[in-house]
Amino acid sequence: MIGQAKLLATLSGLVKRTRVDGVSVCAHAKTRRVFRFAFDAIHQDLIQDSVGVTVKVVRDGRVGVASAGTLEPKSLQRCVQAALEIAKHSPPPEILASLPPSHHLRSRRDYAASTARFSAAACVEELKHLFRICQGAGATLAGSLVTGDDEFAVANSSGTACYAASTIAGAKLVTMYRKLSGFASGVHRDIKRLDLEGLLKQSLRQSLCEAEPVTPPLGAYEVILEPQAVGELVEWLGYTAFGAKSVAERTSLMAGRMGEHVFSPEITLYDDGTEASTLRTPFDFEGTPKRRTMLIDRGVATGIVYDTAYGERFNQPSTGHALPPDEVEGPLPLHLAMAPGRTSLEAMIRKCRRGLLIPRFHYVNGLLNPREALMTGLTREGTFLIEHGKLTTPVTTLRFTQSLLEAFKQVLGVSKERRVVADPNQDMGCALMPALHLASFKFTGRSAS
Amino acid sequence: MTARQIPTSSLPRDLLDQLIRLLKRRGVDYADVRYEHLLHESLVAEQGRVASISLSESSGICIRVLVNGSWGVAATPHLARASLTRAAASAIELAKASSLINRLPRPLSPVQPVKASHRSRFAIDPFDVPLGKKIDYLLWANTTLMGPNAIKRATTHMDFHKRRKLFCSTDGAAIDQLIIESGAGLEVVAQQGDETQVRSAPNSHHGALSQAGFEYVKQLDLVGEAGKAQEEVLALLRAPSPSAGETTLILHPTQVVMQLHESCGHPVELDRALGQELSYAGGSFMTPEHLGQLRYGSQHVNIVADATIPGGVGSFGFDDEGVPAQCVDIVKEGLFVGYLSSRESAARLNLPGSGGAMRADGWSVAPLVRMTNVNLQPGNATLDELLHGVKHGYLLSTNKSWSIDDRRLNFQFSTEIGWEITDGRIGGVVKNPLYTGITPQFWGKCTGVGRKEDWQLWGVPNCAKGEPMQLMHVGHGSSYARFDGVTVAPAR
Repeated sequence: MIGQAKLLATLSGLVKRTRVDGVSVCAHAKTRRVFRFAFDAIHQDLIQDSVGVTVKVVRDGRVGVASAGTLEPKSLQRCVQAALEIAKHSPPPEILASLPPSHHLRSRRDYAASTARFSAAACVEELKHLFRICQGAGATLAGSLVTGDDEFAVANSSGTACYAASTIAGAKLVTMYRKLSGFASGVHRDIKRLDLEGLLKQSLRQSLCEAEPVTPPLGAYEVILEPQAVGELVEWLGYTAFGAKSVAERTSLMAGRMGEHVFSPEITLYDDGTEASTLRTPFDFEGTPKRRTMLIDRGVATGIVYDTAYGERFNQPSTGHALPPDEVEGPLPLHLAMAPGRTSLEAMIRKCRRGLLIPRFHYVNGLLNPREALMTGLTREGTFLIEHGKLTTPVTTLRFTQSLLEAFKQVLGVSKERRVVADPNQDMGCALMPALHLASFKFTGRSAS
Repeated sequence: MTARQIPTSSLPRDLLDQLIRLLKRRGVDYADVRYEHLLHESLVAEQGRVASISLSESSGICIRVLVNGSWGVAATPHLARASLTRAAASAIELAKASSLINRLPRPLSPVQPVKASHRSRFAIDPFDVPLGKKIDYLLWANTTLMGPNAIKRATTHMDFHKRRKLFCSTDGAAIDQLIIESGAGLEVVAQQGDETQVRSAPNSHHGALSQAGFEYVKQLDLVGEAGKAQEEVLALLRAPSPSAGETTLILHPTQVVMQLHESCGHPVELDRALGQELSYAGGSFMTPEHLGQLRYGSQHVNIVADATIPGGVGSFGFDDEGVPAQCVDIVKEGLFVGYLSSRESAARLNLPGSGGAMRADGWSVAPLVRMTNVNLQPGNATLDELLHGVKHGYLLSTNKSWSIDDRRLNFQFSTEIGWEITDGRIGGVVKNPLYTGITPQFWGKCTGVGRKEDWQLWGVPNCAKGEPMQLMHVGHGSSYARFDGVTVAPAR
């Protein structure tokens, strides 16, 4: 850990020393300890320390951006020089976005010392325990266990000085038994509250099945998507539909449809980087506080997310969704959430006459036709056929090709329980998703397996 | 020296030597130490204006040790001696902790340690080219894309990478490499009513990337490509969709690239075939018992992993284990004959040596088995000869979407553009073409591969693998390729 005082002093010092019309500096320092294992052996373990600093300067209306992978003063000075050189050669932009107002945010509320202090030996002890349970069940185990800490800071010449420290722990567990595999994953700020044994049992429940997997005929099925599968679809929507840039370019399904019913009234989607039960982040890469932003309100297209530049373009305030200044994707929602419903996963299964239970998807791609939210992807471990309200047999890999504009119009149920879906290795963001019961989902292909 | 040059005077050769001596004293079975200094310049213009210019610089050291049959890896950007000593201790601690679980030895295939240097070919260092010159060219191409009302976004971009890498091992290797890459491209989005179409050139997904200097960007002729891309994207707005059904496909090299990447490159990564990516990217249908047995494709299909080809972004002098670059046969006349491999994975299969495919995307991560340049070797046919006899089919170009299952069997791709083929002739444009298949069945239906003169080498600069995820630059080369009886549908 670098620490709040040192990191903010470094950034603020750099801002003060850089004599230009405007300067903004953001830094992300992180540590990750990663164990990867397969077939009861650890094949990769890594402890990674890194820091990234990005400097944006504005001089005579011209912008320059440069970044460095160190806090070492000489390198930071080179970084500033590079940004100034870029600014000198850059043509002035059409609209020069101002720096956001001054904010002073400090947060250590998501920092768990137990995670930061968790040693390599302690990780291996946890894994030994999981291997023993798995071997006892006659299954084999593969997966990863990750712990780490993050420090994120922003300072600018308007006086902003924001800092947040947090920790992360997460695991992915694949269990294999005969022809079947199971999967479970979880994340938490505090490794002591990451229920590894519970995750393993969840994964084993999917794989310890004596029934032979079946390949059902292709076509439309009623589906029950567990939170991770819902998250994989909604995160693609976040990328293609809910950012101001895709709306400006009219590639978003939201463009020209604001105020219209695009999904079922059962679907409410919002982005909330402040929600305590998620992997929240108090501010964005411009230092603007995260704002809960309604995107789809009971099926109606309601809002999109902005940074300062796109906010000025749309005459809206920033919602706190700026990405790093060297990104060109525009603002994006990184903490998508679907509002909970009134039912449960178990009740959904009981209600289903014939359908598929899908815990997660593989390799979803949402670029087929973003205006229609047409996506493709595949099922993976743990997919089961549901017949007359009961899980009957596991199902081999199936490919779906489906427009979410169609699928999310026919919602049979949304669960009241939600789960945080995230990859502990990623820098920022997560999804908070319920299970979703859809009336029709098109399966267009199958694997030969 | 400007901020845009790697400071060669401060390369930490002595630190690496000291670390190797320290690790030997600590009694490790094996260790290697890799220093990397990376520069990346990115320029993007949109709607006739500069949208972003950025320069990123990063350097650090990755220490990899083998103790009691277990690996331990520690990476740090802090090059002070005390920080590096701590990192070395962390790597050893990790390896010792893992060895409490690992029961089997972890032999490495042999490699002759060398003291060598390698520099990729380039005529003009792109970091020496004045920014103003790059911006002028970028904006010229960008404004050429604009004009008609239907054009909603015009993007042009350039990317330049410079990677300096030092590698030392306890076996005695000491290798110094400098690799420079240059790339550029454009993308235009058009919209009319509810129809939105995109067209990229010369390739999508930043695929026009080469191990070369600024001379490569000049060869790409973005301005000439811009006029053609604008014409095609407007044609796509009015074009019909392809009809659904089984038909003949001729894939342009820009699409064969993605087909090779997903359905051949990934499944022949030996670490993946051994199950080491199960929790993230998945497994492979090309497991070791199939080596030398599996009929992967037709007799026209010859695929190599070639790390020696000039210009390929998967080329190098030595991989991140100090193994020299090689050209490895993967598929020979349709038969699966080889893997992408590392020293450890090759030893697991008793292969004679590593295939030299172990690479990390930067100093902060451990090397993994990665694609080099996975190429479909050229055949003899001209495009006219491939078209000859095709009653009905489509010529598809430029990847738009991609998806494949976790064992790399069931794939689905869509492309930005297609042309209908009738009685051996290329006809009108079709929009939103999509095709799907099962890997060995699809390659088994390959009925012809184009000649050397039409062979093109492209880059994939965002090949994702590993935890933490690494984005590797890999290359793919191909000519046109023809496939019969492929399932085609409109993406709707």
